[in-house]
Amino acid sequence: MTRLLVNPAAECLPLARRLRRAFLIALILGLWAPVKILWEQEIGAEQDLLRYHGVTMSRELRDQLGQDLTIGVLSGMRSVVADYIWMVDLTIAWQQQEWFKMGGYVNLCTSLQPRSIIFWDIGGWQLAWNASVAAARDHTEPDPLRRYKNSQFWIQKGLDVYLRGIANNPESWKLWADTGFLYEQRLGDIEKRNGQHQAAWDAYHKAAYYYGEALKRPGCMTFYERWPAYMYEKAGDDQAAYQAWKDLWLSLTPEEKKQKQHAAEKIESSIRDLEKKLSIPNEKRVFPN
Amino acid sequence: MMSSLYRIIVIGRNTLTESLRQKVLSVLLIFSLVLVCCSVYFSGIATPGLDAAGLFDEQIKFVKDFGCGAIGLFGFAIALLSTAQLIPQELQTRTIYTILAKPVRRSEFLLGKFFGIVLLLALCVALMSLAFVGTLYWQEWQGIALVQNVYGYGTPSWHADSISVGQYNHEIDLIDTQVRDPQLIEAVLLIFAKLVMTSGIALLISTFSTSTIFTIVTTFMIYLIGHLESTAREVWLGRGAETSIWQSGLLGFISLLIPDMNSFTIVDEILSGNHVPWSHALNLLAYANVYLIILLALSIVIFDYREL
Repeated sequence: MTRLLVNPAAECLPLARRLRRAFLIALILGLWAPVKILWEQEIGAEQDLLRYHGVTMSRELRDQLGQDLTIGVLSGMRSVVADYIWMVDLTIAWQQQEWFKMGGYVNLCTSLQPRSIIFWDIGGWQLAWNASVAAARDHTEPDPLRRYKNSQFWIQKGLDVYLRGIANNPESWKLWADTGFLYEQRLGDIEKRNGQHQAAWDAYHKAAYYYGEALKRPGCMTFYERWPAYMYEKAGDDQAAYQAWKDLWLSLTPEEKKQKQHAAEKIESSIRDLEKKLSIPNEKRVFPN
Repeated sequence: MMSSLYRIIVIGRNTLTESLRQKVLSVLLIFSLVLVCCSVYFSGIATPGLDAAGLFDEQIKFVKDFGCGAIGLFGFAIALLSTAQLIPQELQTRTIYTILAKPVRRSEFLLGKFFGIVLLLALCVALMSLAFVGTLYWQEWQGIALVQNVYGYGTPSWHADSISVGQYNHEIDLIDTQVRDPQLIEAVLLIFAKLVMTSGIALLISTFSTSTIFTIVTTFMIYLIGHLESTAREVWLGRGAETSIWQSGLLGFISLLIPDMNSFTIVDEILSGNHVPWSHALNLLAYANVYLIILLALSIVIFDYREL
C-alpha cells in the first residue's frame, strides 16, 4: 500500500544518489583498507623491533584487573592503571604484610608496563628484601628451618622479578646491578653466615658477573667498576679478585687515575696486598718491589 | 580555491568561538588543569623507604603518567562532546539551513566545523601541556631539594667527600634528564593526534546519526575496539587462534575499518623514559593524518548525500 503512494519517478533519483554514495564509500574503503593493514603491520613490526611489548589483553589479565581497570587499559590508560595498582593496592598489601597478594600486584604492574624499570626495580626489592625478611622473622612459624625456607622462597621470587626485568629491558644497567646486589646480599652473605661456603661462592661469582654486565650498559655509576673485584674477594677467590683488580687498573688512563684518586688508591692497595698474598713473582707484578 | 579556504576558516573560527562559550567544555578544561596540577599530590604516595634517586624516579613517573593521562582523558571528553553535537545542534537550531543557503558547499561547512574543533583541541592540549610542564618543574625543584638534603649540600662538610659529590652530581643530572626530556613533545603530539582521530570518527558518525547520544556511544565503542584492533588483525591474518568463518569475518571487518589506537600507547614508553625515535613518532603521525583524510572524505560523501 505504501509503495503505491510513492511516485516511481521520485524514487528513482534517491536510489541513484544512494547507489552513487555507496559506490564512493566502497571505493574509498576499498582503496584504503589494504594500505591500512600494510601500514599497521609495518608500525607493529617497528614497535616489536623497538621492543615495545604492548600488553595483550588476556582472560587472565582481565580477571586480575577487574571490570573498571580493564576499561581503563582499553581506553589507553595503561600507565595510569598500573600506577594506581602500585600506589593503592600494592601499598595496602605491603602494609598488611600480605606478601602473596603483593607478589601478584608486582606481576600485574610489570605485565602492564614491562618497560618501566621502576616496577621491576622496586618490585624485586619488595619481594627479596621486605617479604623475605618478614618471613625470616615470622615467629608464628616455630621451625627455624621452615622460616629459612620461606625466606629463601621470597628471595627467589625477587630474583625471578629481576631476571624477567632484564629479559624485557636488557639495556638497563639498574636491573643488572640490582640482580648483582641481590646475589651479593640476599644469597651470598646469608649463605656465608650459615656456613654454606659453596653456595656463597656461587652467589658471589654470579654477583660479580651481574655487576660486570651492569658496567657494560650506558649510564652505570662508575663506582660499580670495583664491585666485581670486591665480590671475588668476598667469595675468597683471590686469583679472580687479583685478575679483576689488575684488569681495572690497566684499563684506567693516567688522567682517570688522577681524577679518581680515592678509587685508584684502593685499587693499588688491593693489588699490592693480593700480589703479596698470592706470592706473584716480582717480574709479573703490577707493582714490583 | 582561496575563497573556499577563506569560508572554511571563517566557519572554523566561529565553531571555535561557539565551543569556547559552552559551559560544559569550560568546566572540563578547568577540571583537566586541576587534575594535571594535582598529579604532584599523587607523587606523594610513592613507596616509603626508598633512597633519594628511587623516590624521585617513582614520583616523576607518577607525575608524568597522571599528567599525560589527564591530557588524554579530558582531551578525549572534549573531542567527543564537542564533535558529537556539531551537526545535530546546527540542525536543531536550524542555522545550517541559513548557512547552506549561502554560497557555501556542504563539504566546506563540514571541513570548517572540523577545523574549528581541531583548533579547540589544540588550544586545550596547549593549555594542559603548559600546566603539565609547570607541574614537572615543581617536581624537579622538589627532587633537587630532596637530593640536596640527603647529601648535605651547602653544609660545612660539603666537598669533603669527593665520592658523595660525584654521586650528588649524578643524581642531579638524572633528575634533569627525566624532567627536561625533549621526548615529552613527542608524547604530547601523539596524544593530540589520537584526539584528532577520535574527533574525526565522531564527525563521521554524526554525519548519518540523528542523535548526539548515538554518536557519543558509538565513537566511544570504536575507540575501545581500536585498542584491540591490533589483536584482531593478528588473529585475522592467521597468527593467533583458529577461528570460524563468522569470527574471521568479524575480525576482518574490525581490522579493515577500525583504526589501530593501541599503537599510540607508545606514549607510555616515552613516559617510562625509553627512547622512541622521531622517525617512528612521525610514522604514527602520518598514519593518523592519512586516516583523518579518509574519515573526512567519507564524512563529506555521506553528508553531501544526506537529506537535510
